[in-house]
Amino acid sequence: MTVSRNPTRRAILKAGVAGSTLAFLPIWAGAAEAACATLRAGITGYNVINTLDPARATLIPESYVIWGMFNCLLKFDEGMNIIPDLAESYETPTPTLLRFKLRQGVKFHDGVEMTAEDVKFTLERLRSEEFASPHRSKFAPLSDIRVIDAYTIELETAEPFAPLLSYLTNTRTGSQIVPKHLLENGTPESFATNPIGTGPFKLQSYEPGAALTLTAHTEYFEPGLPKVQMVNIPLIAEESAGVTALLGGSIDVTSTAPFADIPNLEKDKRVQVLKKPGTNSRFISLNNAVAPFDDVHFRRALSLAFDRQAMVDVVLFGEGRVAKGVIPSSISWAAAQEQPTLTMLDPAAAKAEMAKSKYGPGTEATVLTWGSSWWKRFAEVFVLQVNQVLGVNFKVEVSDSGTVYQRMQAGDVQASIWGWLGLVDPDEYAYEIYHSKGSRNYEKYSNPEVDKLLEQARSEMDQSARGDLYRQVEALVIEDCPILPCFESNVHNLLSAKVTGFVQLPYSAFGSQLANVDNC
Amino acid sequence: MPKGLRYFLTRFIGALITMLVGTVVVFFVMKAAPGDPALVVLGDFATPETIAKFNSDQGLDQPELVQYFNWLAGIVQFDFGTSLSVSQGEDIGALIAYRLPSTFFIGIYALTIAICLALVLGTLAATRRGTLVDTSATSLAVLGVSMPDFWLGYMLILGLSIGMGWFPSYGFVQPSTSILGALHSGFLPALAIAAPMAAVFTRTLRTSLIENLDRDHVRVARSFGQTGRFTFLHHVFRNSIIPFIVVIGLQVRYLLGGVVIIERIFGINGIGSLMVEAAFARDYYVVQACAVVFLGVVLTVNFAVDLICASLDPRRAR
Repeated sequence: MTVSRNPTRRAILKAGVAGSTLAFLPIWAGAAEAACATLRAGITGYNVINTLDPARATLIPESYVIWGMFNCLLKFDEGMNIIPDLAESYETPTPTLLRFKLRQGVKFHDGVEMTAEDVKFTLERLRSEEFASPHRSKFAPLSDIRVIDAYTIELETAEPFAPLLSYLTNTRTGSQIVPKHLLENGTPESFATNPIGTGPFKLQSYEPGAALTLTAHTEYFEPGLPKVQMVNIPLIAEESAGVTALLGGSIDVTSTAPFADIPNLEKDKRVQVLKKPGTNSRFISLNNAVAPFDDVHFRRALSLAFDRQAMVDVVLFGEGRVAKGVIPSSISWAAAQEQPTLTMLDPAAAKAEMAKSKYGPGTEATVLTWGSSWWKRFAEVFVLQVNQVLGVNFKVEVSDSGTVYQRMQAGDVQASIWGWLGLVDPDEYAYEIYHSKGSRNYEKYSNPEVDKLLEQARSEMDQSARGDLYRQVEALVIEDCPILPCFESNVHNLLSAKVTGFVQLPYSAFGSQLANVDNC
Repeated sequence: MPKGLRYFLTRFIGALITMLVGTVVVFFVMKAAPGDPALVVLGDFATPETIAKFNSDQGLDQPELVQYFNWLAGIVQFDFGTSLSVSQGEDIGALIAYRLPSTFFIGIYALTIAICLALVLGTLAATRRGTLVDTSATSLAVLGVSMPDFWLGYMLILGLSIGMGWFPSYGFVQPSTSILGALHSGFLPALAIAAPMAAVFTRTLRTSLIENLDRDHVRVARSFGQTGRFTFLHHVFRNSIIPFIVVIGLQVRYLLGGVVIIERIFGINGIGSLMVEAAFARDYYVVQACAVVFLGVVLTVNFAVDLICASLDPRRAR
């Protein structure tokens, strides 16, 4: 039951039939319990995977799988520090130059060795206008990519560009190293469903919408990894079905868990609940260009008029923490350390701020949100509180997430619930949201002093100095309240009681942790 | 025969028109709903430029009426087109052909369970009218109709899978892999869909049997000294079975409704879950194709029901 190198979609479909059933075979194979022959790691809450080509992937479940099949030059450790992966070491001889020494003897899944040429090819492919990768803008600052020898590569930028290191990690960056020898004459369509990487697992079969099966890459460069020989990944659309699947013994690991179930699951001896604050930021986006959010005093009044802890309790069932700024606390070297007073409920101060603004009680506005679950509740909790404290007349409009996104981009919105998830560099939050030229600045916020600090932070190669700059930015921005940071939610993984070796990272590093699982 | 042929043809043309109207409704309701397949595919990386490119690549920038007729022209040649967002670029015909067997298996499994339960409970209740058996069977039937299938699905998982460990809590073994495996892993989902149907069938059969048991010709047959069993099978049951079969035909649409939800809960990779995914992902053509398949099944079953009834009661064909 192997898949040929360039199989047709139909062949993959057929192979998938057998593959997907493997997860449920033990019932019929008499439950042969080896140490852990096949790990059954369910992706929960999602079931659409359109491509496994790292440079094209946009969806979270796609990343979950890609992380297990590819490597980048760098990766994050548990403390979110950047450490080498395919690179053996790296140095910055000048602020605009990055020099990587690569590991020797790293093999792609097809047995061909990975060299500096593959790294160069990967980055050029990402930068190519014709290829039009969604990750292209991240690598625009690169001005030159030089192969020094088979195991040395230099990356040059026109200006110092600190986020580049984060963009070279095995996260949602697209910079996973792909094989030049297979793609240099154009990417065949089959690469999307039958990709070749250097990672601990290679794809055996893929059944669209249902399941993937990965097998161990026997020539993986880290000795002793992966510890399991086969991973079956059912794609489980309903998060609650993921919980019952785990409790019923049909799977061993989940990629997420429903917030409301966590308190009960934590008491359940059959389950291990892993959780920590994630790399995400949830806030209320205010369109600073339109009434009534064009008045800083009114925005401040709103920020003081609701209890963020109540939001965490009601919306997340306690599974998160109050945000101190837009940069998530899990990126600890850059996140604000103190809770700003402007983000704490203070009805008297809120009313005093509103008295200074041109808007008063009875002011009307619409807060856009979507769905039926917690995004909707998020908006309702906010509107209920500010209406009560300030006597304003806000209402909630429920739409769907795509429409909200489109309307935000078009500026056709007063206020909306919003958030970013899985971004790993503070620049992706602070610069893109707060800089007047930021790609995520849907609030149309502009503060020359903030812009200057953000540009400085981009070019500061020293991490702690850079972190200080972001804290200064957060302190300045919070006074202007262009957005109202609310909370960060926890990331969760559920493991069955027997599973050991799975380490959770704040960006929910599902696929990249499967190689370490040694018991299931 | 000409009469039979005309009957057949009118039914067939009626079915085609129903199908056409169905697809128009589905297509334009989907279009009217907020959301965009481009945003589903492009995710966080959507920009006005990439969205415009996606729409022109997929022909979504054409007027909606043109899109609909292009799709319809394809259908006539059995070309369902390719998926927009749920399995991008995949041939929809292949997608459906691949997923249909699981749904058929679960559907027929559920129908079989429902019919068997109804035959036993309905007969017991009718022949032992007013006894504890009758009360229990009717109470069970009331319980069956009042339980939503998705709730029952989770309860069955909780009790028989997580609690007793008798059945898998998630996933489905394809019948082509192992029939026994499919019967085992498909039991809970089939039961969840079957329970409400079984309740309706039981009540219909019971009422119909009771009505026929009191008929004069049955009394006459008994007075001729025929055995209870012979009378029941030849004079009661055969006459009672027609409303029962008509109700089965009517219930098929609930069966399909059940399949849509139950497939998601149990992770069965069938047409029902495909349709839900496609609706969420605004994959208009996949939703359309699934609707055509569902409509086709409902109309075929009802057509079959008409034929069966006509053969059971020749007066109907006249």
